[in-house]
Amino acid sequence: MILGPFLMIGLTIGISYVSANSTSSSREVAVISDSQPLRQAFIKQNDGLNTKITTVKAAKQALKKDHLAGYLVLTTDNQQFKADYHGSDSMGSSLRAQTQNFLVTYQQAANYQQANLTTKQRKTLARTPTLTQHIAKKTGTANTAKKISFWLLVTMIYIILITYSSIAAQEIASEKGTKIMEIIFSSTTATSYFIGKITGILLVILTQIVVYLLGGWAGYQFAINNAKLKPLFTEYHSLINAVIHNLLNMNLVYLLLGVVIYTVLSAYSGAIVAKAEDASKAAQPVVMLSMLGFFLTFPFQSNLDAPFVKIMSYVPFFSSYFMPMRIINGTANGLEQGLSLAILLAAIGLFAWYIGSQYQRLMLQTDSKSIWQQWIHDWRHQD
Amino acid sequence: MLSIQHISKHFGTVHALNDVSFDVPDGQILGLIGQNGAGKSTTFHSILNFITYDGTITWQGHPLSANDFDTIGYLPEERSLMPKLTIEQQVVYLARLKGQSAKETRAHIDEWLQRFAVKGTRKSRIKDLSKGNQQKVQLICTLIHHPKLLILDEPFSGLDPVNADLLKQAVLTARDEGAAIIFSSHDMEHVTALCDQLVMLRKGDVVLHGTLTEVRNQFGKTELYVTTDWTPDRLKTLPGVAAVTVRQPRQYLLQLNDPAAGPAIFAALTEGHYIEEFSQQPPTLDEIFRLKVGEDHA
Repeated sequence: MILGPFLMIGLTIGISYVSANSTSSSREVAVISDSQPLRQAFIKQNDGLNTKITTVKAAKQALKKDHLAGYLVLTTDNQQFKADYHGSDSMGSSLRAQTQNFLVTYQQAANYQQANLTTKQRKTLARTPTLTQHIAKKTGTANTAKKISFWLLVTMIYIILITYSSIAAQEIASEKGTKIMEIIFSSTTATSYFIGKITGILLVILTQIVVYLLGGWAGYQFAINNAKLKPLFTEYHSLINAVIHNLLNMNLVYLLLGVVIYTVLSAYSGAIVAKAEDASKAAQPVVMLSMLGFFLTFPFQSNLDAPFVKIMSYVPFFSSYFMPMRIINGTANGLEQGLSLAILLAAIGLFAWYIGSQYQRLMLQTDSKSIWQQWIHDWRHQD
Repeated sequence: MLSIQHISKHFGTVHALNDVSFDVPDGQILGLIGQNGAGKSTTFHSILNFITYDGTITWQGHPLSANDFDTIGYLPEERSLMPKLTIEQQVVYLARLKGQSAKETRAHIDEWLQRFAVKGTRKSRIKDLSKGNQQKVQLICTLIHHPKLLILDEPFSGLDPVNADLLKQAVLTARDEGAAIIFSSHDMEHVTALCDQLVMLRKGDVVLHGTLTEVRNQFGKTELYVTTDWTPDRLKTLPGVAAVTVRQPRQYLLQLNDPAAGPAIFAALTEGHYIEEFSQQPPTLDEIFRLKVGEDHA
């Protein structure tokens, strides 16, 4: 299960590689022309062309055998440049634009020559309007980093919660009403057992997170040392660093604590099912709550100042999604983060204490008294 | 000593226990008998604090708490182990919960497997064992940490006579080591063989309590075992004889209306001569059990 994502990534890369290799020859376009300088000029300016085929006859045969995507015939007729494309499918937009540019450039040069213009006239006619975009590189990178970080983080929280909610709930529900629980509760307190159980599940989750972090680090090291990927990583160096920073700061604490509180709730869901056979249904309320938190963040990604976002970033179960969103976008100061974290920790503590105190009764199903009746009984028998 | 004083428990309108009191001193065995639903398991659950109850239960003079868990050995009514574990993993896990180190437990596992004649090794998985052997492993888990308070809910159920004897020996050893032992059983033969005292529950009420001799003597010596050449019809004419049951040819069980009729019957049967068998006894525990259950149905 932990290695699943790595297998998926490996499989995707493998399939893409095989697919790219197997289709490369049939996606090429051949260029045919009576004018060799024209053909060579076109080939020089464009990549991915078939340079071996030089005649229409050969091109037709190759096209028929599906060895070519198409062929382009370049001709000049009475000082007019023409290009005819023959293919099994329409011309790719990139090649079409490149062909158009090529023809315009050559046609213009021919026109100028035929019109016998002076250098000044040529320069005047060659003048074109300009459109320039002025983007502050740092801000652009930061915004992209925020978006990537947010999606990575909430998706990670969501996937981990969905996976482990079911595991935690089923693990506990399957023990419900079994006699081994009687033996265990005659050996240790239900609270200790419950906390031990939750700690065990959390350590498994932590192992998964550590494996992902190590896997990510190994992938990063591989990529920056890979000749093909290195330029990409050099170009996006600041973006990648910003995303890593966003994932490895306070947000990681929120991810872990979010997992803790949802796991505790899952355990409770598992403990309150009527019978062990209902274990598979036990996690449903937790999964629903987790989904609600996940999807509620969507409409507020560009509206972080909304009061709803601020309120939810303090509410346990939802703060695990909303506060990281605010932290990534820099709209929560240290005090706000600390307060939200304190509320989350207190909620986890109270919740775990309450469930621990009820755990034996819920798991053994030996007493018909409700929680209220039991409290009254305990209070009456305090002395 | 385990002391149970005036405990009562209700499940809704159902009366599970009603003012139940008894003590189990250290080094003694108490048998808890009663029909299904009489309140035996509820008593055990009360001792272990699995349920709330009214009344007082103390162990060595204080209410039983988490600090006492390591001194308890508990065998529930239905057996339940972790099927994926090996015998060693299972025993070590449960013994560690009882505060006994894995090292110490491992050192004694083979000895316990041998003592209970378990068919399997310490590396055998629980799921691969027969039902009887799983039960024996569960017994080992209950006893391996040498508990001072042993609570056994139907420990003999499902065991063949040979294995039942092995368990009896283990229980007697624990008693000799000073453990206070309470166990429930439907088999009066085991109760008779093991118990220093017994308590019979009926619908949550204590209907019998005392040593085996005390309980039996409450019913008077109304059973007379004789071996004679007399015919059943002739035996019926003896004074105080209510019924005659043929046990074997020439062997009879006479039910007496009045235990005091014994000497007169002896005189009439022997006429001053030798007689192979003449034994006047109170009813067996099995008969008392049926009698008490019958009272409720009457």
